[in-house]
Amino acid sequence: MNIFCDECKKNIATVFLTKISGNEVSRVQLCEDCAERMEETTEAANLLAFLPQILSGLHGAEEPLVEDVLSSDLVICDFCGTSFNDFQKMGFLGCANCYEVFGDSLDGVLLDFQEATEHIGKIPGKASESARLRKRLLELERHLDRQIAEEEYEAAAAVRDQIKEIEGKLEMEAESGTE
Amino acid sequence: MARSKASAPGADWMREHGPGYPLVLSSRARIARNLEGLPFPIAAGEEDLEKARGMVLEAVSRRVAEDRDWEVSFAEELSRNRLEMMAEEHITPAAFSDRIGGRAVAIGPNDGRSVMVNEEDHVRIQAILPGAQFMKAWKAADEIDTVLETEVQYCYDQRLGYLTSSPSNIGTGLRVSAMLHLPALVTTGDIGKTISALAQAGIYVRGLYGEGSGVAGNIFQISNRQTLGRTEEFIVSNMDMIVRQVVDNERTARKMMLREAELDLADRAYRSLGVVERCRRVCYYEALELISLIKLGVDTEVLPVSDFNILEVGVAISPYHLREFLGGEAGEEDVDRERSVHLRKMLDL
Repeated sequence: MNIFCDECKKNIATVFLTKISGNEVSRVQLCEDCAERMEETTEAANLLAFLPQILSGLHGAEEPLVEDVLSSDLVICDFCGTSFNDFQKMGFLGCANCYEVFGDSLDGVLLDFQEATEHIGKIPGKASESARLRKRLLELERHLDRQIAEEEYEAAAAVRDQIKEIEGKLEMEAESGTE
Repeated sequence: MARSKASAPGADWMREHGPGYPLVLSSRARIARNLEGLPFPIAAGEEDLEKARGMVLEAVSRRVAEDRDWEVSFAEELSRNRLEMMAEEHITPAAFSDRIGGRAVAIGPNDGRSVMVNEEDHVRIQAILPGAQFMKAWKAADEIDTVLETEVQYCYDQRLGYLTSSPSNIGTGLRVSAMLHLPALVTTGDIGKTISALAQAGIYVRGLYGEGSGVAGNIFQISNRQTLGRTEEFIVSNMDMIVRQVVDNERTARKMMLREAELDLADRAYRSLGVVERCRRVCYYEALELISLIKLGVDTEVLPVSDFNILEVGVAISPYHLREFLGGEAGEEDVDRERSVHLRKMLDL
């Protein structure tokens, strides 16, 4: 879904309006500012606000603004060609790479909308395998440092082999992931 | 290709009484996923859309459908009527038919499960069950997700979780929603307080047809706004808890109406019944309002009409279902006339 206001295309939409005439239904979603402006104009007479209470419910809540990231308008994803400006207009990203390209600007949007920037839910089977390997790698590296510090070179060599093995596995996984 | 299931007027979940009946009409869990290495549908060309569709449908047929009776339909092979009927049955969102190229739907054997391909995201897994069964609905969708994940590689980021076309779905990709019939809260005006409280609790309140739809027939769809930074279990159990509270509010409002305004309640229900008995044409919106008040009268036993499922009737009298019934080309006036006939038939009047 597009999370932005149909009018200004900048703020996050919090008001959903619907017009029903006969069997035809048309819809518009607005941010609080635009909704209020709309109410003042005659156009409002043509729109049925079924949930005006949402407006009052959100009064006082901070206004999610994306203006501070407008400078990144011209950043364009090198994989799918979507610009940050496109995202603001449509509300959609074009590919997984967009998340990396628009990184910081997106974090602002995520904080506003999701009130979080980190996933704590389901981990896919394959990803959890690499996450497990990475964790094991960190443990081994710490172990290796300790052994070198204690001058246990023979044991350290064995650990180094284990580390190489895991790094190899991770590399293979990364390669198969980008195919 | 087999006839689309959308041709049958409503799946079982619309007819059955689940926990929380008649206030909780249905529970829905929807999981959004995308395939790694391909642009999301919105930015994808024909070739990539076809590739994604092929990969998802192959995984579905190999691992989900197996030998059971799943039906796969390519959007471009369905008539406009049938596409709209799927939306009326909540299998697809209302905007599904706006752009049909490369899209597809696989529908489970009348069990409320479906997989939609190339809408906003490459994969949308959905499970709908009657009444309040959020955990069960999520588990049904999650099971499909887990199995598909052994066949295809999803876009997944260590920090952000599952990547989706809209950041509103990122992380778990999980949207859990409940369809609620709340006529007493609307009549008493207390719905405003409930909606404000829900909005503040991070819950979306929408109409019968979800995103961007208005409220009709006092049917509300509520769903979690946040999908990131929460576990699936939290999202599901939170929805369960919130629905209980809203249902409690509606029950209290009904009791209050019965105690303090029974005449008004009976008057509204009988007037609606009178219109349905006598009308010769009725638009969809008005019809939903009428059956809502009749249903309130039935639930509170002020109206001697046999019980009916408001969702089942609502779907049967929806514009494209009636158009299909009339032969696919009928105009608005014919549809409105047939709706009045359909209503009397379905309500045994």
